[in-house]
Amino acid sequence: MAVLEVRDLATYYYLGKKELKAVDGVSFDIESRRTLGLAGESGCGKTTTAYSIMRILAENGKIARGSVTLGGVELTELSDEEMRQIRWKKASIVFQYAMNAFNPVLRIGRQIVEVIREKDKMSEEEAVLTVSTLFDEVGLKPERQTDYPHEFSGGMLQRAIIAQALACDPQLIIADEPVTALDVIVQNKILDLLRKLQDKYNLAVLFITHDLSVVAENCHDVGIMYAGNLVEVGDAASVFKKSLHPYSYKLIGAFPSVVGPKKRLEFIPGSPPNLLNLPTGCKFHPRCPFAQSICKDDIPEFREITSGHFAKCHFAGELDFGGGQ
Amino acid sequence: MTTNDTILSVQDLRKWFTLRAGLFSFNRQPSYVKAVDGVSFDVPRSGSIAIAGESGCGKTTLARTILRLVEPTSGSVLYNGENIYEMNRLELSELRLKMQLIFQNPFEVLDPRHTVVDLVGEGLVIHGLQENDEVLHDRVISALEDVRLIPAEDFATRYTHELSGGQLQRIAIARSLILKPELIIADEPVSMLDASIRTEVMNLMTDLQKEKELTYIFITHDLAQARYIGDYLIIMYLGRIAEMGPMEDVIQAPQHPYTKALVSNIPIPDPTVERDRIMLEGETPTPVDLPPGCRFKPRCQEIGVYCKEDEPILHEVASGHWVACYIE
Repeated sequence: MAVLEVRDLATYYYLGKKELKAVDGVSFDIESRRTLGLAGESGCGKTTTAYSIMRILAENGKIARGSVTLGGVELTELSDEEMRQIRWKKASIVFQYAMNAFNPVLRIGRQIVEVIREKDKMSEEEAVLTVSTLFDEVGLKPERQTDYPHEFSGGMLQRAIIAQALACDPQLIIADEPVTALDVIVQNKILDLLRKLQDKYNLAVLFITHDLSVVAENCHDVGIMYAGNLVEVGDAASVFKKSLHPYSYKLIGAFPSVVGPKKRLEFIPGSPPNLLNLPTGCKFHPRCPFAQSICKDDIPEFREITSGHFAKCHFAGELDFGGGQ
Repeated sequence: MTTNDTILSVQDLRKWFTLRAGLFSFNRQPSYVKAVDGVSFDVPRSGSIAIAGESGCGKTTLARTILRLVEPTSGSVLYNGENIYEMNRLELSELRLKMQLIFQNPFEVLDPRHTVVDLVGEGLVIHGLQENDEVLHDRVISALEDVRLIPAEDFATRYTHELSGGQLQRIAIARSLILKPELIIADEPVSMLDASIRTEVMNLMTDLQKEKELTYIFITHDLAQARYIGDYLIIMYLGRIAEMGPMEDVIQAPQHPYTKALVSNIPIPDPTVERDRIMLEGETPTPVDLPPGCRFKPRCQEIGVYCKEDEPILHEVASGHWVACYIE
């Protein structure tokens, strides 16, 4: 059974009287030792999806419908106090800006000890020992837990955040753009570390990023989001090599590569829709080169086209994108 | 090396920033952040050079020093053969028309209280080049058409909040184009933009280069992006050029150990490609109090005898391909 099951999740923000549909019907599973990369452009709802799972939405954000089950527990129905017990212990989140995630006036070790003692009944000494083990695990010297955040480099801070995320032995880690602020070489070291820890602790990982190159190299499965919808999901090779949704195809083709011959890069005319004023039917139809009248009128169903490979397009599997992928 | 076809020649340029010693430090010797530390290269007319490197390698400081937005510590920059650091105010003001800068974040550059027509025409007004309102308006419209914001009359009356990121960056480009520049320095011009829009702006810049015979210097941290916008590549490490050469030569056959590691670590948007990565020890340090010898030495896996003593200088390994490394 999958560790995380998300079904028809919809999260809306309320701006005065207006309803902003940030996430509108997203379904996916993540099994233990698997990584799902959730990718899309700014405003597509990938971070809101993550925040909905953790239930850390801003005050004006509400889960409108759908279900999120983690290890068999329905998260959307838990009380705030029960949800508090889930965070860190069952699911933790790693944010993009490690430098903002730690309090600058407290020693780093102290802040992780605090998390551990809050969640697990453990003595101060035991907690400090746990932090030492964790530091060792993520490639930091245990004696550096008495350092302040400004004494760490960007890569070291990201390691410390990962140590903190692992502190209470969760089943699921959500990594929201965990390496975007880092240089490529450090970036790969952190990603290697995440993979190693995933295997060791049987973690399910939800990896959120705008960078499809990073997804291609680090995720088992890929989900592509557009304007609040999950438009395609499947294993990485299928989504990249046999894209079903025109948006995924174009977006993947827009990423430049340093290997192989220089090919023509794709682009999509226009820009993503205003979430307060969404187009009818398929949300991608105004920018889609294959749009027919049905696309304007009817919302496509999210359906399985080939085994484990889903897409939300009326013509999924029937389109010829031209040229090999 | 400088010929008639060289529009810009950077010669042994240095920009050091002084770090003030603390009030109670015993040894109050100032130390320096050597952001740019002896950089030389030529930019051919109508060429397109990409300068790439990781954060802190000095690429942005280099751009700012070339534009004389900051004064250099030493060295010179010849623009059409004239040293820009010896120019007086008037000459410099004329130079600024010919050399334009495009920034990374159009949201910060463009004043939200002005309409597009004011934003695009601002440069002409500042330089006192607007003959009258009508001519100014016409020139703004034609600049907007140049960057494919059509119908231009419609865009001219809008405010920045009514436009998308890609449109704003095109307005930033129009602001430069209206002054009829020869050289454009673009500092991460598409890094803020979403992938689906990025290509459009990159293609626009390439088309404009041909139409207007522009020369480009692109600053970027992303080698994959650099490959698509430049025809010559300069790799910087800690304030110096590690390697430079024709784009495909450097990307396909990097020579410097740093470039090799950098290229091998660029993620590839294809899950079926398997590559060996060269991992480097540690992270890029700050260029303060550098040890003698090669500045890449502490992270290098191929250290030879000379590396510990002298800073390697650039030598040509193939036509136009230069490497600063002792290891053959």
